[in-house]
Amino acid sequence: MKIRFMAQAILAGLFVAGAAQAQTVTVMGSTALGPIVKKAAEDYMKSHPGVQIAVSGGGSMTGLNQVTSGGCHIGISDVFATPDQEKAGIKNHNIVVQPFTLIAHPGVGVKNLSAQQAEQIFTGKVGNWQEVGGQNRKIVRVIRPESSGTRAVQKKTILHDQEFAKDVLIQDSTGAVVTAVATTPGAVSFVELEHLEKNKNRIAGIAYNGVACSNESVKSGKYPVFSFGHAYTNPAKLGDPKVKQAVEDFLAYILSPAFQQNVLKAGYLPVDYVKSLKTKL
Amino acid sequence: MPQAPEVSIAAAPEGGYPVLEEGLRPAAASAPTFKHSRLQRLADRWAHLGFLICSLLVVVLIGGILYFLATRGLAAFLPLAGNTGRALSFSEVFLSADWAPSSDRFGILPFIAGSLGVTGLALLIAAPAGVLTGVFIAKMAPAWMRNLMRQVMDLLVGIPSVVYGIFGLTVVLPLVSRTWLADAPASGFAVSALILAVMIVPTIVSLSTDAFESLPAALDEGAQALGSSRWQAIWRVLIPAARPRLLTATVLGLGRAIGEAMAVQMVIGNNPQWMALMRESTDRAPFLRALFTPAATLTTELVQELPNTAAGSTWNNVLFAMGLLLYLLTMVLILATRRLGRGKEA
Repeated sequence: MKIRFMAQAILAGLFVAGAAQAQTVTVMGSTALGPIVKKAAEDYMKSHPGVQIAVSGGGSMTGLNQVTSGGCHIGISDVFATPDQEKAGIKNHNIVVQPFTLIAHPGVGVKNLSAQQAEQIFTGKVGNWQEVGGQNRKIVRVIRPESSGTRAVQKKTILHDQEFAKDVLIQDSTGAVVTAVATTPGAVSFVELEHLEKNKNRIAGIAYNGVACSNESVKSGKYPVFSFGHAYTNPAKLGDPKVKQAVEDFLAYILSPAFQQNVLKAGYLPVDYVKSLKTKL
Repeated sequence: MPQAPEVSIAAAPEGGYPVLEEGLRPAAASAPTFKHSRLQRLADRWAHLGFLICSLLVVVLIGGILYFLATRGLAAFLPLAGNTGRALSFSEVFLSADWAPSSDRFGILPFIAGSLGVTGLALLIAAPAGVLTGVFIAKMAPAWMRNLMRQVMDLLVGIPSVVYGIFGLTVVLPLVSRTWLADAPASGFAVSALILAVMIVPTIVSLSTDAFESLPAALDEGAQALGSSRWQAIWRVLIPAARPRLLTATVLGLGRAIGEAMAVQMVIGNNPQWMALMRESTDRAPFLRALFTPAATLTTELVQELPNTAAGSTWNNVLFAMGLLLYLLTMVLILATRRLGRGKEA
């Protein structure tokens, strides 16, 4: 009995000491942003031994839900919070820039689309590549499901908030989209730039308004189709000032010039590339 | 009863072990009938408890899942406090084909019709093929082939559905598209049903083989002795006799098909607007066209949208309602299977 009690006391003591020593910051949400935030967490913990940062997935909506309800300290998301969640007082931080590009099956015979042509293709007003200067082939629109962040970006930038055509193929993930476009003659879609770069041998990139998507064209302001990766916090639910301090410090580290150089390697762009540009996303 | 006989485990007395009455227990305990140590008895008791907990856990789990699905799913129709969305009416969900959740329209008819359509088509292919293969394995094939076929079928049952999906996406779709559709995409009911059929054939084959093998040999022999040909014996005698178990096999295949998400999701095209598209189409062969129109089912829509919708939103609740519908459909199928299975004694 005595031994048991002592063991418990020691364990409890260790626990308290551990808690006092390390601040734990929990991050949840977007699986797309997960790797880059995980990298930031590893680097940050090396220079800040007193802080533990736990990054887990679950999807953008999970991240937003959890940060709103206080289930995690930072919610990472590819999309903006819903109006309800914003009303709850969560705060947005743009941490990276994500460029998007139009892609097509290599055989369509089109290298560039004007903004109007791109819009008409996805709203269904144009149904054959011939109408936009390509081969005589039916256009097969491959898009993401309605709840996808990529689709939200596409709807806002390419379709200017109009509805997608009814005649579409829907694929669950960007990987599946790339496969579908590569194997379906006449297919057209919209993906993050890094997926085009990784699959250059299978799919063709299409310039938008005469400008090809690249890090440079986004930086120079010539290429307008991109979105932000978001990190949301809920200041009202952070409670412990030490945790609050750690969260703010970690976000500042992600936005620091030193770390923002790392995001380039992960297929994102530093936020200050587009600081001067105005965008709704 | 001190003169209680030594009872060994190996030789149980005729009519089973004598049942000890409550009052006799102390005497029985003092008798050296079973020499279990204290530790063994303790282990027995704990094991008993463990088994009990495990079996209760299964019941609790099934009930819990139903409760969870029902509360979340029905929340779509009830003006509850935790609901951030509005309460829908049953008709605008179950009777409408208009699915545009971001614009507040939640008709799930395309998914219900999609699930039933693709499952029905798959069954149309798989049931005859499965039953006939069953007859062949049980009644015609030589022994070596029977063994081989059985092993192949078991192997096929074990292949993960995602593998069938990848095969469909990378081999069947391009092949069909190139061969018959002049390179137009082949996604839709036809290829999905084909993939599903391949997935459920092994189940149907295994169960119908068992069904035919369990029939008394006298049926077959009798029919042939009365002068019926091989085909007549199979068609007029064996199949009718095995019918309840064949139906069970088919319904089990149906259950597997209707719940399948992964493989279907990869080849069906996942277009919730397929019914509207069909209505607008001016095609002269609408049924043929429907076979190659990207469509969606309950499972594929759940897989795609559930992870990305906010908990408590109407959208999320409707998805749970779809899950509940699937659960109830599967339950009905299982109950039907039991019913049919019981019919075989009649």
